[in-house]
Amino acid sequence: MKYIYLLFNLIFILFFFGCNSGGNVEVKDTSELHQATRDEVEKLVEQFILAEDGTTIEMPAGFYQLETQLILDNKNNIKIKGKGMDKTILSFKGLKTGGEGMKIVGKNISLEDFSVYDAPGDGVKTQHCENILMRRVNATWTNGDKSQNGTYALYPVQCKNVIIDACEASHSRDAGIYVGQSENIIVKNCTAFGNVAGIEIENCSNVEVFKNKAYDNTGGILVFNLPGLPVADGRGTKIYDNEIIENNHKNFALIEGNNGNAVTQIPPGSGVVVMAGKDVEIFNNKILKNKTSGISIASYQVTGFPMKDQDLEKWSPFSSGIYIHDNEYERSSSLPDMSKDLGKLIAAKNAHGIGKTQDIVYDGIWDQQISKDISSNPMNICIKENMENLRFTRFYLMEGEDNIKSYKEYDPFVCDLKIETDISVLQ
Amino acid sequence: MVSVSNKTTTLPYKTLSEYGFFTGELNQLIPAARVLFYKPVSSLFSDYSFKSRFVWIPEGKNATIADDEKGTFLFPEGSTLIKHFYYPGQFDNPEGKRKIMETRLLVKKDGNWEAYPYLWNEEQTEALYKITGSTTPVSFIDAQQKLHEIEYVQPNKNQCKSCHNRNEELIPIGPNARNLNSIITYKNGKQQNQLEKWKAWGYLVDDRKEEKYPSMVDYDDIHADLHLRAKAYLEMNCGHCHHPEGPASTSGMFLTYEEENPDKWGVMKPPIAAGVGAGPHTYGIVPGRAEESILVYRMKSEKPGIMMPELGRVSKHQEGVDLIREWIDKM
Repeated sequence: MKYIYLLFNLIFILFFFGCNSGGNVEVKDTSELHQATRDEVEKLVEQFILAEDGTTIEMPAGFYQLETQLILDNKNNIKIKGKGMDKTILSFKGLKTGGEGMKIVGKNISLEDFSVYDAPGDGVKTQHCENILMRRVNATWTNGDKSQNGTYALYPVQCKNVIIDACEASHSRDAGIYVGQSENIIVKNCTAFGNVAGIEIENCSNVEVFKNKAYDNTGGILVFNLPGLPVADGRGTKIYDNEIIENNHKNFALIEGNNGNAVTQIPPGSGVVVMAGKDVEIFNNKILKNKTSGISIASYQVTGFPMKDQDLEKWSPFSSGIYIHDNEYERSSSLPDMSKDLGKLIAAKNAHGIGKTQDIVYDGIWDQQISKDISSNPMNICIKENMENLRFTRFYLMEGEDNIKSYKEYDPFVCDLKIETDISVLQ
Repeated sequence: MVSVSNKTTTLPYKTLSEYGFFTGELNQLIPAARVLFYKPVSSLFSDYSFKSRFVWIPEGKNATIADDEKGTFLFPEGSTLIKHFYYPGQFDNPEGKRKIMETRLLVKKDGNWEAYPYLWNEEQTEALYKITGSTTPVSFIDAQQKLHEIEYVQPNKNQCKSCHNRNEELIPIGPNARNLNSIITYKNGKQQNQLEKWKAWGYLVDDRKEEKYPSMVDYDDIHADLHLRAKAYLEMNCGHCHHPEGPASTSGMFLTYEEENPDKWGVMKPPIAAGVGAGPHTYGIVPGRAEESILVYRMKSEKPGIMMPELGRVSKHQEGVDLIREWIDKM
């Protein structure tokens, strides 16, 4: 069984590797599925609109071509259930208005056993939900040309108590699984591949991400805090027991260059990226063959975006309280990325030699109001790995582009931290 | 006679005519007694469709005005807002032959607003309750004699709340003191401030005089201040979602008339969840550079997933784009 899985994975990886530049995507064959009739599609839309508290919306097997959004409007105790990710497929290719395919608002909601294809913007968006479960939900895009794909596949935002379990998210032009401005979150047993960002946790608190597979994305798992949002900062994330493998996909968020979305700056070959993260523990993961850096710890300053005084009142641009330990690293034989500035920085200026993949990089930007000297480890960056073999680089970027320095000394950062999360409310 | 009683339990009716809001042939849209025409100062662009709006409030009841920036109307139970969407065959003759697409009702029922969408039949004799939305091809010749051919999209019932939303409660958008504080010409030829008209009808009870109410410019009024026109445009086309209590609060970008902080309009602000909607651009608004601003990029787009607003249009509002472009270029 294991060998079959490995073989399957290998074929997949080879396939994607071969198609990185063209961006072609293998599409599941849905021709055997029952094509839902106009009346069946109409009935499905109606079920969402007529749902009352306590309703179960059953979605029979079939390929549904929708011309309008499926919206659940602030209802409670709702189950939305298909017949399986390969059996109930909702295609939003024909949408003429509206961003997301499915939009859910309410309390005590479960979404199970279906797929969402080709939403113009986001696949499944859940907003202002309390107790939301997604289990065995797949969201993807089937365009051969990935530059036509949408933004987020699975997108809970401003929610409380979120479980994403055994879901699949692929080929999004931003993040596959993106949880934003939410609290009390589990992402487990999921698979994210072929996205720019596999799994992204943004401005969230009390989060555990475990037993997921993130492969063939540009970046595997991201923890970000961005300024200027109603939920100003996030704190407390554990990332453990994940397989974060070969996240070397071309960054296709834009055809070329960067825009104002931070993910456009992510260099291909990034395993885990923490930016302006607060209290993040990364442990027991397999972080393999990510060609640029296994784990990157960054401050918001690396984006080059302006920071506004009013944002700094409630939010900090620095990463702090980061604890990395007991991960397995395997370096790639490929050269680090040269397509993005951050990739070039790592490739050219790391402390171990030009073109060498790094296990852990730290941008070394710290809050000088706390300490004038980084050797006191003012941002509490702690690393406990097999330090002898670890390829670690700390940069010094605070004197401009012409004076970039890098150091491999890890001594100030060998320490441990207690990171608190509590997901008992979700069990 | 209007047949809607103070009891709203039987709603929605299957047909528009059952409400009795209009007399004579339904498609003439002649209001029955106690059905009052109103016209917001500024309004949402909806694929160049014309709109006519009416309000009905049950006998013996009245709305009041909240003490907020826009003077939100607080309506009593049973109040109904009626909005028709139609296209004249020739825009330079709006009273000539027309095609009525849909009629949307907002009814205050059991303390909450409900949205009831009606789709007009091909014969233009009746509008039928339709909750799942629809797409209808339509063509029209605009005032510049340009032919438009579009697929008109009637939203499904739950999409109404994508715009009509405050803290996940359905709310009306157009009728508030700020947006009705204007003089219009009524069918009898008389000119009157709408707030005074509502008061004269007993629809509104409020002690303030006309000059005490907030006001807003008409964004189409080329003689008005450019900044205020742009703000009015953004209020009516974006501010319903891009509001601290609206669905687009996730973006941290607030486009209401009263928002005075340029950071919140998106000035030099990178996007949050715009994803593909950002196009090649870095900031919501780059002062002096409309063409590099995500705001203009999304207004110009006709592609779902990129275009803004997300609903209510399949075509570009060229005049709106020109207005916002000029505003940003002169910042």
